[in-house]
Amino acid sequence: MAIRYIDGPEARITDHDGLLVDVEFHHGETFTALEPRRLFPTTGLQKYITLLDDEGKEVAIVRDINTLLPESREVLENSLHEYYMIPKVQRLIKMTDKFKIWMWTAETDRGTYTFEIRDHNNTVKPLYDGRVLIKDANDNRYEIPNIALLDKRSQRMILPNL
Amino acid sequence: MQVLEKTQEQLAMQPQTLLTNLPLPEVLEQFAQQNSLLDKACFAVVGDLNLTGKYGQGALLFMQNGLWVYDSVARIEPEYFAYADLHDVKVRRMYGNALFQARDEKGKRLNLLRFTYAAAEAAEAGAQFVQSCVDDGFSPALIEAVQAGFDRRRAFCMRCGRQLRKPDAPCLNCENKTQTFGKFGKYILEQKWLLIFCLALSVVTTAMALVPPLVTGHMIDTVLHYGQLDMLLWMVLLLLGVHLVQFSVGAVRSYFLRRAGSRMVVELRKDIYAKTQFLPMRFFDKTSTGSVINRIHGDTSVLQQFILRITQEAVVQLFLMIGLMVIMFSLNWRLAAVSLLPVPLVVIGGRIFGKKIAPRYRRLWRRGSAIFALLADTVPGVRVIKAFTNEDRAIDKFARYNEEWYKEDMVAGKIASIFPNVMTFLVTCGSLVIWLIGGRWVIDGAGAEDALSIGMLVIFITYAGQFYNPVNFFANLNDGYQNALASVEKILDILEAEPERDFGKGDPMPDHLQGRIEFRNVNFSFDRSKKTLSNVNLVIEPGDIVGIVGTTGSGKSTLINLIMRYYDDYEGEILVDGRDLKEVDMAFYRSQIGYVQQEPLMFRASIFNNIAYGAGDVHPESVLYAAEVANAHGFIAQLPDAYDTLLGERGTGLSGGEKQRISIARAVLKNPSILIFDEATAAVDSETEHLIQDAIERLIRGRTTLMIAHRLSTLRKANKIIVVDKGEIIEFGSPAELLALQGKYYKLVQIQSMAEEAEKQRAEENF
Repeated sequence: MAIRYIDGPEARITDHDGLLVDVEFHHGETFTALEPRRLFPTTGLQKYITLLDDEGKEVAIVRDINTLLPESREVLENSLHEYYMIPKVQRLIKMTDKFKIWMWTAETDRGTYTFEIRDHNNTVKPLYDGRVLIKDANDNRYEIPNIALLDKRSQRMILPNL
Repeated sequence: MQVLEKTQEQLAMQPQTLLTNLPLPEVLEQFAQQNSLLDKACFAVVGDLNLTGKYGQGALLFMQNGLWVYDSVARIEPEYFAYADLHDVKVRRMYGNALFQARDEKGKRLNLLRFTYAAAEAAEAGAQFVQSCVDDGFSPALIEAVQAGFDRRRAFCMRCGRQLRKPDAPCLNCENKTQTFGKFGKYILEQKWLLIFCLALSVVTTAMALVPPLVTGHMIDTVLHYGQLDMLLWMVLLLLGVHLVQFSVGAVRSYFLRRAGSRMVVELRKDIYAKTQFLPMRFFDKTSTGSVINRIHGDTSVLQQFILRITQEAVVQLFLMIGLMVIMFSLNWRLAAVSLLPVPLVVIGGRIFGKKIAPRYRRLWRRGSAIFALLADTVPGVRVIKAFTNEDRAIDKFARYNEEWYKEDMVAGKIASIFPNVMTFLVTCGSLVIWLIGGRWVIDGAGAEDALSIGMLVIFITYAGQFYNPVNFFANLNDGYQNALASVEKILDILEAEPERDFGKGDPMPDHLQGRIEFRNVNFSFDRSKKTLSNVNLVIEPGDIVGIVGTTGSGKSTLINLIMRYYDDYEGEILVDGRDLKEVDMAFYRSQIGYVQQEPLMFRASIFNNIAYGAGDVHPESVLYAAEVANAHGFIAQLPDAYDTLLGERGTGLSGGEKQRISIARAVLKNPSILIFDEATAAVDSETEHLIQDAIERLIRGRTTLMIAHRLSTLRKANKIIVVDKGEIIEFGSPAELLALQGKYYKLVQIQSMAEEAEKQRAEENF
C-alpha cells in the first residue's frame, strides 16, 4: 500500500489531548487520537512526521511541518515538543570524571539537572554541524545545539574530552 | 533544581521504612505526616519532571485502595484517586520521558506523573500494582513485585550515589581500593616466588646503578689528581664489573618479570573466558560481544601492566629514591639540598603534562577507534560495497577519518614533543645550578680542608640526574591507577556476574529423557516494559511433532528459549517429564536437546570437527552415518578435501543449505530426546528444502520435536500445532482440529496455499 503524504493545507490537524492529535482531510475523512512521531529525530526535526493510530499503524506522513496551516503547525509542534524530551544544554555547571564515568550538572532549557554518562565513547556523539548528542546512563537524551556557542568555561570542561 | 547526588544522599539518610525510588518531595511528605499516611502507604514513586515537562517534582503515594498524586505545578495540593475509579493504568514511554496515565470513570485520560527514564522502572512497577489491585484486589505479594521493579534504581551506592554494576555490588568509588585490587591477589600470589626473585634482582641492579658515580668521583679526585696509573686500571675494571653485573642481572630480571606477567594474564584471561561460558543469556543480551572480547584481550593487559608497575617498578623506584637521598645527604647535605631544588618544578610540570596529554590521547583513541569501526564494517562487507559500486565513497570516508586522526595526532605530537624536552631542560637547569653553586664552593674552598672536590661535584650532578626518574614515576602513577581501575571495573563485571544457576548441580535424571514438556501459567518478559509471553499453558507428549506458527515477533523463539532454559526468570512452571525444569541438571538437560537454528553457526575447523562438535571422542563412522542421515554425506564426499575440508569464518565456502545439513548431522550425532528446529528451512531454495525436510523426517522419528516454521508445508508431519500471537497461545491442537476451528491457523493455511498456487503457476509459465 502506498504511503499517504500530507503536503500542505489538505489536512487540518487539531489538538486531541495535548499529546495526541486529530486529523481531518479536506474530503471529510477524519482520524482521532493519532500520535505524531519524527521519522528522523536527529537529522530532520521539521520533516517527515508520521501519524500513528493507537495500534501503531501509520495513517499518514507530514512531509514538512512548514507547509501546514499555521494552526495545524502549532498543534503538531506542541505535540512533538511534549513527546520528544531532548533538553538543550545551555551551560555546564559541573563535570566530574571518575573511572571513566562522567557526572554532569547542566543548565538546560528544561531546568537544571544532574546526570551520569557511562561509556562516553559511544554515548556522547559530536556531529559535524557543531551539535553534540548525549545519552545518559538511564537512556535519557540531551543535546548541545552548538558547542562553539557555549560559554568558555563549559567549553573548557567538554572539549578536551571529545 | 534537582541534583541527583543530593537526593541520593537524602535517600541514604531516610529511614528505609517507605519503599521509594527517590526521597519524597517535602510537600507530600509533610502532607502524609499530617494525615498519618506514611504508616499505611505501600510505596511511593517519585518523578523528576513536573507535568509541563520541566525538571521538577511529582510523586505518587500508593495506598491499598487508592493513590495520592502530587505535582509541583499541576497538583500542589495532593489529590486522591481510588483504584476503583481508575482504568487502563499504564506508563506511556515517550522519547526521553514518560507519563503515568490512567482513565477516569468517564474514560477521560489523566496524566498523573511525568518523569525521565530514571524513574521509569519504578513507575512501571507502580502501574502493574494498580492494575493488579483493580483486577484482583490488594495482596501483600503485590508489594514484593514492586520491590523487584525498584531494584535497578536501588543499584546505586548509598554513600556516594554512584550507580553500581548490580544491586548490592560493592562501590568501586567507596570500597577500599586495596580490597578492589585484592580480588586479583590470587593471580599475584600464584607468581609470588618469581616476583620476589625479580624484586631481589632489582635490589642488585639498583645498588649497581648507584656505584658508578661514586667510582667516577674517586677517579677524578684521587686517581687522576695524583696520577695513580695502576689504580686507574683497577677502577676501570671495577666499573666494567659493575656494569656487567648491572646489565646481565637486568636481562635475567626482565625475562622472569615477563614470564610472571604473562602467566598472570594467561590465568586471568582463562578465568574470564571460562566465566563467560557460564553466564546467562541475559548478560549477552545487554553486553556486546565486542566489549566482552575487549575485556578478555585488552583490559587484562592494562591490568597486568599496572600490577607489574606496582609490585616491581614502584618498589624499585622507591629503593632508588631512598638510596640516592641517603648517599647524597651523607656525602654533602648542603649540595644535596641544592640538587633537590628543581624537584617541585619537575613534579608540577609532570602533572601539568599528564593533564594536558591525557585528554589528547583520549581524543586520539576516539579517532583511532572510529577508523577501526569503519574497517570492521567495510572489510567484511566488501561484497556489498562492490555490488553497489561504492568503492570511491568508502575510500573518501576512510580518507576523511584518517585525516582527522592525523590532525589529532599532530596536536598530541606537539605536546608530546615539547613537554618532555621542557622537562629535560628543567633538569639540565638543575644541574647548571649545581655547577654554579657547587662550582663556586669548589673554587672558593680550594685548599681548605672541608672544601668541595671536583669529583664530589661530578658525583652530585650524576646523582641529581638519576633522581628525576623516580620523581617522575611517582608523579604520574595516579594516571595509571585511574586507567587500571576502569579496566578492573570491566573485568569484575564478568568475574562477579552471577552465572547460570545450578549448572551441573541440579538433580541428574535417568539415562534418557522421555520428552514430555508442560507449561503451566508461564509469563515472561525481557524487560519490565512489555510482556513477551503471557499465560502460556500447554502439554507436549513424548514423540509429539509440534509445529509453532505465528507472525514475526509473536514470541515463537522466546518459547524455544525458555525450553532451552536460556532464561530462568519466568513466572509459572515448566515441567520436563513431570519435573520442574529449574531442578533438572542443566548440563544433562541441554545434552538431551538437539537444536537446529535458521542460520547455523560453523566454526573455523574441518567439516568432520564441525559435525563432531560437542561430541568428544567419536568414531569416524558415526560421523559418516550422521552426515548420511542428514543428507550431507553426498556433497561432502564430492569436495576435494571431503571431511577434512577446512571451513572459513562462519562456514564460508558452503551454501546455506549445506551448512544447514551439517548442523542437522550435528544434531543426529547427539542422539537427543528433544529436537528443536528454529526456521531450519527458511533461507534455502525449494529443492534444498526437500533434501533438508527429508533429513529432518528421518531424524525426528520417535523424538519429541518442536519446529518453528513460516512455510506451513514444512509442518506436514506435525501432529500438533501451536499458534502464537502477541505472546499468547491462541490456538493449540491437531492440524485437523485447528482447520475445523477456522481461526488464525486456517487463515494462514489459506493464504499460503494461495501464494504457493500462484508461485507454481508463475513457475510453469516461465518454463
